Amino acid sequence: MPLGFGTPEWATALESAINASSEYRNAAASWGVGFNGSILLAFERGGALEQGLYLLLKLQGGRCLGAEFVPGPSRPDAGFTLRAPYTLWREILSGTTLAASAILTGKMRVEGNTIALLKHAGAHRSLIHCVASLDTRFPGT
Amino acid sequence: MDRLYQLLQNRIEGVVSTPDQFHPAQLTNFGNLHHWTPRFVVEPASAQDVAAVVAFAREHGLTVSVRGSAHSQSRLAISNGGILLSMPSMRRISPPDASGGTVDVEGGVVWRDLVRALAPQHLVPPVLTNNLSVTVGGTLAIGGLGLTSFKYGTQGDNVQELDVVTGTGEKITCDRKRSSDLFWGSLAGLGQAGIITRARLNLRRAKPMTRTYYLLYDELHGFLEDAKRAMESGVWDHLESWASPCPQGTKPVAGRRQVFARWFYPFHLTVEFDPEDPPDDAELLGGLRPFDHLYTDDVPTIDFLERMTPVFDLWKQGGTWKHVHAWVETILPWERAADCIESVLPDLPPSILVGGHVLLWPAKGKSSRSRFFMRPPGETLMGFGVLPAIPPRFWEQARPMLDNLGRLTEVMGGKRYLSGYIDWDQDRWREHFGDQWEPYCALKRKYDPDSLLNPGFVPFPSARPAGVPAAG
Repeated sequence: MPLGFGTPEWATALESAINASSEYRNAAASWGVGFNGSILLAFERGGALEQGLYLLLKLQGGRCLGAEFVPGPSRPDAGFTLRAPYTLWREILSGTTLAASAILTGKMRVEGNTIALLKHAGAHRSLIHCVASLDTRFPGT
Repeated sequence: MDRLYQLLQNRIEGVVSTPDQFHPAQLTNFGNLHHWTPRFVVEPASAQDVAAVVAFAREHGLTVSVRGSAHSQSRLAISNGGILLSMPSMRRISPPDASGGTVDVEGGVVWRDLVRALAPQHLVPPVLTNNLSVTVGGTLAIGGLGLTSFKYGTQGDNVQELDVVTGTGEKITCDRKRSSDLFWGSLAGLGQAGIITRARLNLRRAKPMTRTYYLLYDELHGFLEDAKRAMESGVWDHLESWASPCPQGTKPVAGRRQVFARWFYPFHLTVEFDPEDPPDDAELLGGLRPFDHLYTDDVPTIDFLERMTPVFDLWKQGGTWKHVHAWVETILPWERAADCIESVLPDLPPSILVGGHVLLWPAKGKSSRSRFFMRPPGETLMGFGVLPAIPPRFWEQARPMLDNLGRLTEVMGGKRYLSGYIDWDQDRWREHFGDQWEPYCALKRKYDPDSLLNPGFVPFPSARPAGVPAAG
């Protein structure tokens, strides 16, 4: 049964999925250790998304300590923000665009220490994989 | 028969060939990424021939691309409908000068031939590339890096004088004082201002034997510390290192299992010596902290310089020499080197390195004076090269990873080495050259106003803006 994107249930399911992923646990073992690893994923309105959605993930040492949709467009408690139009996020989650490509070409905007983010590229790839793997009912589908 | 064939052949002493005579290898380069067919291939006999070819091309609206050993991997050393100048026909080596300080060679001379010609006198060029099968003109146009670059810079930094045929067909002798803009613009200038037909190269006296210590590091930071220490110690003549994968099984990467590796760092440190005065191992290695010291190898210096030949022969025998080569080689700022390397290696499939390798080369920024050989600021630098051989059918699958690798190294502050896989728009070229971009474009406008030379690689803005007359 797909969960609606942007709902508290979806965020809770994502938290569980991240914590169940040994891929993420290994790849992100040093993410958020000694620095604020919380990430705000900013899905900016566009396409079928009429209003922006902002997902705050509290990440540390290969674990997700919390996932919730929050008011946007920014959060002071996020160490990093990844900001992109919803249409680009959909491409990333469907696997037609690599998140790394979006970041490196500037299509996805990074707020925070880009070098630190890139240094942990494997962690973020597995995080995106967790998001993409959730059985989700996206707007417009 | 092409109507221009006889006209061109009549103008030169060298050989002109037409598409029905081309060897398939002439349609691509080592990258095997681009396949272009020239209208003519010309094997020039002399600089006069090169000048005549350029003049002919101007008269008939053709382009001229220059090919040495074609070890480039992007849109260099190939021609799409123009004239391809195959320079190995110009391979004369003059005797060294009386002091043994310099030697004059033609642009098509292969470095191996020069090394062998000089060996009886124990003379060598200060910097030699790993692959000695490439030409003098080719590597000077790119930069030319080797195991001694931490001391001597690029091969271009060790040139006294050049003869260059410009895009106007003029042959100019240039050096640091005469036509110095052309001199520096021809070194690491990607052949955009002129064609190097002769170079006067520095030489140094080499000792007859080398001793190489094969050290192994199990941890990147320890290797980097010792690499810096080795560069600064002043006792080593050659430094060479890699990252070497030890496969550990499979792990999921974005949900798909792929082989992953623990990486080790071989570090080979070499000194030259006279047989009657062998090196003191303990003194040389004191202060270094490798995981292991695997081997100590004494070989004649000439054999050391050719050490990669058996490796390349293996790659050729294994068929990987004909795969796609999309090498991403970058000179990184020292302070970002560990971050960059550690972000790349964990997910690099070891299989991508069959017929290739991951190079690490410690470098010194101030050892080079070449204006267009771009490197990050800072005295200590680290070269990082991922050199895969990819079966052509897997190229499109591998391409996004290599595109991202290139961008990643640039975001980390690195500057790319330009013989490898480069597919940039003008903005990225501008970013690469930084404040040298405008001088580089000006050089192009001055010496190749009709944009004849080596088109298709660097997307210059209009080489000759409307209303501006051609130089010369």
